[in-house]
Amino acid sequence: MPGDIFFSLAVRSVRLNFLRSMLAAIGIVIGVVAISSMGMLGTNMQLEVKDQLSATANTVVISSDTVRMGPPGFTPSSSSASGVTKTELTKITSVVSGNGTVIPIYETSGEFTINSIAGRGMIFGIDPGDIGKFLKINQTYGNGTTDLGLNEVLVGADIAQNFDLKVGDRIRIGSFSSSSRPELRIAGVLQPRGTVADGISTDNGIVVNSKWYTNQYGGSNEWSQVNVIVNNVDNISAVESAINAKINTNAKTPAVRITDATSQLATETSTLSTVTTFIMAIGGISLLVAAVSIFNVMMMSVSERIQEIGILLSIGTEKGEVRRMFVYEAFILGLLGAGIGGASSAVIGYSVVDAMIGTTAYFFQPASILYVPAAMLIGVVVCVISGVYPAWRASNMDPIDALRNE
Amino acid sequence: MTASPIIQLSEVTKTYHLESGDYTALDQVSLDIAENDFVAIMGPSGSGKSTMMNQLGILDVPTSGSVYIDGKNVAAMSQLERTHMRRDAIGYIFQKFYLIPLLSAYENVEYPLILKFKKRDTTEKAFRLLEAVGIDRSLSAHRPTQLSGGQQQRVAIARALVNEPRIILCDEPTGNLDSRTGFQIMDILCGLHREGKTVILVTHDEQIAAYAKRTIRLVDGRIEGS
Repeated sequence: MPGDIFFSLAVRSVRLNFLRSMLAAIGIVIGVVAISSMGMLGTNMQLEVKDQLSATANTVVISSDTVRMGPPGFTPSSSSASGVTKTELTKITSVVSGNGTVIPIYETSGEFTINSIAGRGMIFGIDPGDIGKFLKINQTYGNGTTDLGLNEVLVGADIAQNFDLKVGDRIRIGSFSSSSRPELRIAGVLQPRGTVADGISTDNGIVVNSKWYTNQYGGSNEWSQVNVIVNNVDNISAVESAINAKINTNAKTPAVRITDATSQLATETSTLSTVTTFIMAIGGISLLVAAVSIFNVMMMSVSERIQEIGILLSIGTEKGEVRRMFVYEAFILGLLGAGIGGASSAVIGYSVVDAMIGTTAYFFQPASILYVPAAMLIGVVVCVISGVYPAWRASNMDPIDALRNE
Repeated sequence: MTASPIIQLSEVTKTYHLESGDYTALDQVSLDIAENDFVAIMGPSGSGKSTMMNQLGILDVPTSGSVYIDGKNVAAMSQLERTHMRRDAIGYIFQKFYLIPLLSAYENVEYPLILKFKKRDTTEKAFRLLEAVGIDRSLSAHRPTQLSGGQQQRVAIARALVNEPRIILCDEPTGNLDSRTGFQIMDILCGLHREGKTVILVTHDEQIAAYAKRTIRLVDGRIEGS
């Protein structure tokens, strides 16, 4: 193509009207940047959520529809049966047997104070033997352990950061107004979990020994939820239906709800991808505007060069060759716009993703970074399409009339 | 006269449909031009010179009658065939030179070769032709706007010759030049005629027409005296 005289003519025409050409190409730059950075932003969000959710994709969550949400200091009466019962837990354990690990969990929302500053968050009561099976300690806060004593707690990543905590600090659970505010020792700080599908969002929560939990809140053997971590994620639906068959014997009023990460992932990613498509469509509008300005510039180029077109046609240039020359010109405008746009969107997209998501860990993954070449390609195609009609018009001129044009 | 003329017009009429009514620019014109002829076509403005030129140059087709170039009926040819014939069989020299402004002098001459062979020329043919008409290599890198009128017309002649056409069609070739340069250009055209080209010259300058072997005078779309 660089050896093609029609390509050279197109390049020279763009160079001759460089300012005008660049102004038209700016539209394409904006369009490419808009489409690719919006696309990358959405994709990075999706990838992050997906990554976080799939960390718990092997977990089945069994919960009772009766949600226990007590007020501060509220102690649930042990006589009212709520949550997953001992009998149900036994059934679950027998169904799962060797296919996974069953972890019963108590949870409530509650207040706590650290150095006289009040906070609020989820409080999870888990058997110390089970904690290490799915939660991890961040050792940078001190030498922590998941093997909780009766008066020890694990705190979530956000709480540790906000209250500037380290292992060995003290925390009081319960509100200021409460008569008993037992003090516990922080035995470890948990690693950030982000959005999870297993219901245990510990980032703004506290994990206590299940014995301490039932001593404090009662409700022994009435778990808020039971998590089953299956050994092989491919078996997850088989495990789910086995549990369902065993416990939810009455189909009309099922005793427990059984969910897993797949359904949550599907909902979250489809929402995000709808939003992404929508904002990309808005970016696409700027490309439409760009197409109009490219069209305009191409029409100007044709009408300024009518006599030249007449010369070309009269000395034996084929119509297709004239068309090619003008389509090349539009193509060059597209390349200019898409080139600058592609480079800018890599930079701008990176900053936007960093600012809005807080991590660029997913930025260079193909699903994300491929938006740059894709948007560039769309930009070039839009330009070429805008150049088709002007090129057609140029090639269909009457050489005699065109030559006469001054 | 050779047996078959290279250009043959038989009862060619060209009518333009204008808002003020039909206007007949050429009226039943018949004309034979033999190979290696040197014909001057003269006439006042509005006599149909340009229309005649367009017919001879296959830029247009007649309303009635027929034009044969090299034995082929122009009206029966496809648009692409006419384009190829303009490229290969006819060299055009215009009053306003009509060089391609974005191409250098060399590229202007190379251009018809690219049209014909669909690739850049490597035979230096364009340089040889430019040198033959008095444009040296240093000038050939210049764009047309950087050349004088006489130089531009020399480049245009080199361009007209590059595909070795048998017919050279000149429309007022000296009209935009001073008389000295004009005579130099006419010397080049006479040289081409001596080399065997068929030269057709449209002009209203008697001095220029005097170079031709014969003169055809057009009046009101008809050949005078025919």
